[in-house]
Amino acid sequence: MTELNGQEPVPVQVMDAFRLKIGDTRSFSHYRCRGLVSQVRLPQVPWAGSVLVFKNFYTAFLSVRVQRPGPGGSRRWVACLWDLCLMPCPHTEQGAQDYFSLHPNQMLCDMDQVTAVRFILRQPSPVWLQFTIEELQIFPPGQKSPQKDFPSWLSQLTPLEQPASLHGELPDPEKVSTGVQQMWMLTEVIRTHQAAACIGRFDVDGCYDVNLLSYM
Amino acid sequence: MAAAAPASLPTPKMAPTKMAAYEKRRPGSAPGTGRAPGAAGGGSEAEFLLRAGVTAMVREALLKVLEARPAEPVAFLADYFERLVPGDAAAEPAGPPQRLARALWFVGLAHHSHRTAFDSNTGAAYEVLGGGGRRRAAGVDGRLYSELLRSICRHGEAPAEAATALLRRVRCRDHEAVPFDVFRYGVLTCFVLLEFAGKADALFAVLDGGSGAADAVVCEAVLRALEEALGSGHLAQPRRYLEAGSRLGPDGLALAMDRALQERKLSGSMSREEFLKKATALFVAKVKPVE
Repeated sequence: MTELNGQEPVPVQVMDAFRLKIGDTRSFSHYRCRGLVSQVRLPQVPWAGSVLVFKNFYTAFLSVRVQRPGPGGSRRWVACLWDLCLMPCPHTEQGAQDYFSLHPNQMLCDMDQVTAVRFILRQPSPVWLQFTIEELQIFPPGQKSPQKDFPSWLSQLTPLEQPASLHGELPDPEKVSTGVQQMWMLTEVIRTHQAAACIGRFDVDGCYDVNLLSYM
Repeated sequence: MAAAAPASLPTPKMAPTKMAAYEKRRPGSAPGTGRAPGAAGGGSEAEFLLRAGVTAMVREALLKVLEARPAEPVAFLADYFERLVPGDAAAEPAGPPQRLARALWFVGLAHHSHRTAFDSNTGAAYEVLGGGGRRRAAGVDGRLYSELLRSICRHGEAPAEAATALLRRVRCRDHEAVPFDVFRYGVLTCFVLLEFAGKADALFAVLDGGSGAADAVVCEAVLRALEEALGSGHLAQPRRYLEAGSRLGPDGLALAMDRALQERKLSGSMSREEFLKKATALFVAKVKPVE
């Protein structure tokens, strides 16, 4: 609808809080929603099979195009991903700040010999003033994501080794656990409510001790 | 009547400002009642209540009841109003023992987990303790502060050894002026120690199964689990909490106790006092010393 630019004023009819009608638009071209393109240059390493991880910031649809060597040394842009929906409802918050990862099986072409990647972001909703993607990371296939060394208590919710049968003389673990957890909580209370102020003592330990008195 | 009212309010230092606020508001509200302001003696009931300080007093009492949420409100209110009646020493400022008793009563009004109420009560106690000078507020010094902490521990029947260790950590020297923040922390730690000791006592009752002496190996294992859960202080909070939850869950504790029993070499028993001593030592070690 670029025809609207530089036109004489046209009557605008407000339909409701979210929609308005601009005169007669039948002769105009289609309305193309706002978009954003960001281009990322990649070093020359084999990117085949890598995983893209990013954090969304109010982008509704994402398309990815990659630059690959074409015939005769030329470079051409190839569509790699087409209109991936990041926010199912563009007007609402859902998915607006989520983390996404793009796996090779989602891509239309492989990432081999790619020299640059273009991210084409679209947001049809006028509610959000800005939109982008953040924290873009590309993990080659061999490299695992850094958060792999989870402690065992996190990855195993129940302990690995279950005692075959508890001793009969053992006190009730439920009750013991309740008691110990309350004690732990009270100690945490003290730890988190420490006094910020200090008395302001300047003395160094022992420096005022009188060890030797002598008469002159 | 009006002159006597401030003396009967709970905090002598705060009362005049409160009364002043009412005095200021009165002319504004008087036209609403349709009476001429300043009509001597002929005020309405509301005006009399206001002038005598009853409105403020009752409001304060209601607030205290709401803050403390006592199990027996009547007994609580009776005690509260009893405290309000000034003794025979109304003419001269109360001496340190009276001020100490009053401060002790203030800090005990609300449970420490009602943080706002507890903090405001502690603030009132701080003012009562520090307001003893004839001309101006003397402030709270280390002697009064230590005395208050000692009486809190004594009233709550804390294990003497733990109380001494705690006081050694949070005490100030006799001549030092105690800032409110330090004062609040000291009072809070004392109350939390009392509750901690109570919980440890209940835990021991579970561990010994009513026999009066628990298996030393099991007790050690439980205490070690608690110590390990508390030990990882350098980690970020969410992770620390998750780890403690996994260690101190029924599964983790059962495993720790079971393992301890299997590895047991010689069996012994642990008395209640010994268990309390070891448990409270863990707590006191986490209290930040005053410096």
